[in-house]
Amino acid sequence: MSSTAAQRPNGLALFILPSALLFALFFFLPIGLMATMSVLTGNPVVMPKVAFTTRHYARMIDDPFYLEVIWTTIRIGLVTTLVALAIGYPLAHWMARIKSRTGHALLLMAVLAPMLTGIVVRTFAWMTLLSDKGVVNQTLMSLGLIAQPLKLMYTETGIVVGLVHIYVPFMVLTLTGVIGRIDERLEQAAENLGASPLRAFIEVTLPLSLPGILAGSLLVFALAISAYVTPILLGGFQIMTLPILIYQQISANFNVGFAAAIGIVLLVISLLLVIAYNRALGLVSGQRELQ
Amino acid sequence: MSTSTSLAAAERATPVRTATVPRHYGRYLYLAINIAILIFLLAPIAIVVVFALNPTPFIQFPPVGVSLRWFEKFFASRDFMHALWFSLEVAVLTTLSATLLGASAALALARGNLPGTRLIVATMLSPLMLPAILTGLALFQTYVLLDVGRPTWGLVAGHTLVTLPYVVRTTLAVLHNFDTRLEEAAQNLGASPLRTFFEVTLPLIKPGVLAGAIFAFIVSFDQFPVSLFLVSPGNETLPVTLFNYLKFDLDGTIGAASVVSILLAFVVVIGLDRTVGLRSYVKL
Repeated sequence: MSSTAAQRPNGLALFILPSALLFALFFFLPIGLMATMSVLTGNPVVMPKVAFTTRHYARMIDDPFYLEVIWTTIRIGLVTTLVALAIGYPLAHWMARIKSRTGHALLLMAVLAPMLTGIVVRTFAWMTLLSDKGVVNQTLMSLGLIAQPLKLMYTETGIVVGLVHIYVPFMVLTLTGVIGRIDERLEQAAENLGASPLRAFIEVTLPLSLPGILAGSLLVFALAISAYVTPILLGGFQIMTLPILIYQQISANFNVGFAAAIGIVLLVISLLLVIAYNRALGLVSGQRELQ
Repeated sequence: MSTSTSLAAAERATPVRTATVPRHYGRYLYLAINIAILIFLLAPIAIVVVFALNPTPFIQFPPVGVSLRWFEKFFASRDFMHALWFSLEVAVLTTLSATLLGASAALALARGNLPGTRLIVATMLSPLMLPAILTGLALFQTYVLLDVGRPTWGLVAGHTLVTLPYVVRTTLAVLHNFDTRLEEAAQNLGASPLRTFFEVTLPLIKPGVLAGAIFAFIVSFDQFPVSLFLVSPGNETLPVTLFNYLKFDLDGTIGAASVVSILLAFVVVIGLDRTVGLRSYVKL
């Protein structure tokens, strides 16, 4: 990016104003209000006397139930990230290295197709696959492999399968960009020097793609811990995560202050992840800019 | 499994490091793994279509026949039709506002000599990375505090916030790639800045704006977490209606509704690919 610090803003700069207004009114103001509500005893508009309090945050730390919810959310996020990496990497590698333009376009379509199918629809797809009378259980039972249906839904495994399916395209797209920038001649040189393709991959490509692995993992983790639909439908209201807790506090308990406090915790975690993601990607583009 | 054992066998058989045989098998293993991953990605979508066309009211696999009864039921359902039209209404309004705001913001960022451009871009892209459920929650709390109820414009504002980043990104990508001398040439030949904008800049950035608009439409049409907090009962978007049905039942009508929304996204994406090409707009 060229530095334009010396130049003065011109007339076109005014075109930023509508978006600035949108962000001020519908992004910064609401988040500021959420942060305020998280440290107040009640709604300042309705109630005459509200005071500062840290009890919403204290409640999260004091009650082992909420710590368990935080841990469940993080655990689901971690497993989802690892599985998404394991199945996203080979596909990203193929996409980055495929020679045929048609082949590349088809792979891109295959990765984008699930992305462009709504989250609710994709979760529904996994419900038809994983439920007790679902496709997987019916097939296994008709083949005589199992006598009782396997409990696939209403488990953390079910949630992870659904989340991986939903977020693996983000992993693939992030990794493809990074692997595509690695000079293929490096691998060829290693192979010419006698390394097997596997060894060339492990010693050359894999280390060079580490920033992409980091960026993709952070992105998938951030998305997975903030998912609502998949954990609630595939978990059958039995497994509690932070987003589910937030919605429950609003819809069932109408405890706006506590919901806001959980929201702020989730926001801080996500912000840290986003900053780390940008740093990781900066490693890649920084390398390129130096060349 | 058998590939890896034969790979080991081949290695034992040829102590000389020719590596041609294992490379051959390794290539097959690589393709097999990738095809399995592609099946994992695409099979669930195929299953939805199978389920929607299956005449039985419960999941049956393998399917027993083909019927359109669930589609008839979907199009006859007042709830689903209302939700479908409301979703389309919100998506169209969102696309208009996100495109207008996003494209002008991109223009200001690329041509306006604004200080701190990098920070502004990062801020404008942030709704993409921050949990959408928090955007929904924060807007919900704000509307409650300000006592404005749950108006459609409130929902559209929320959707605009989460779709604007797509338009900003695709428009910026085009603006960064084009030659500013074209605009200078037009002005040197006597065109006013306004005329230069409409006759040179706008036609050149159109593909980027269009791609962003199409992304905005699809993202808004499929949006769930923001809508969850901002819809009012009786005025729900299609994903929220689907979600409410799913909480109780797995019914073929949901399959039909899903197929309709998948088809809509596909038509739009194929249109996008035909008009401006996909490749350049999917960088994260």
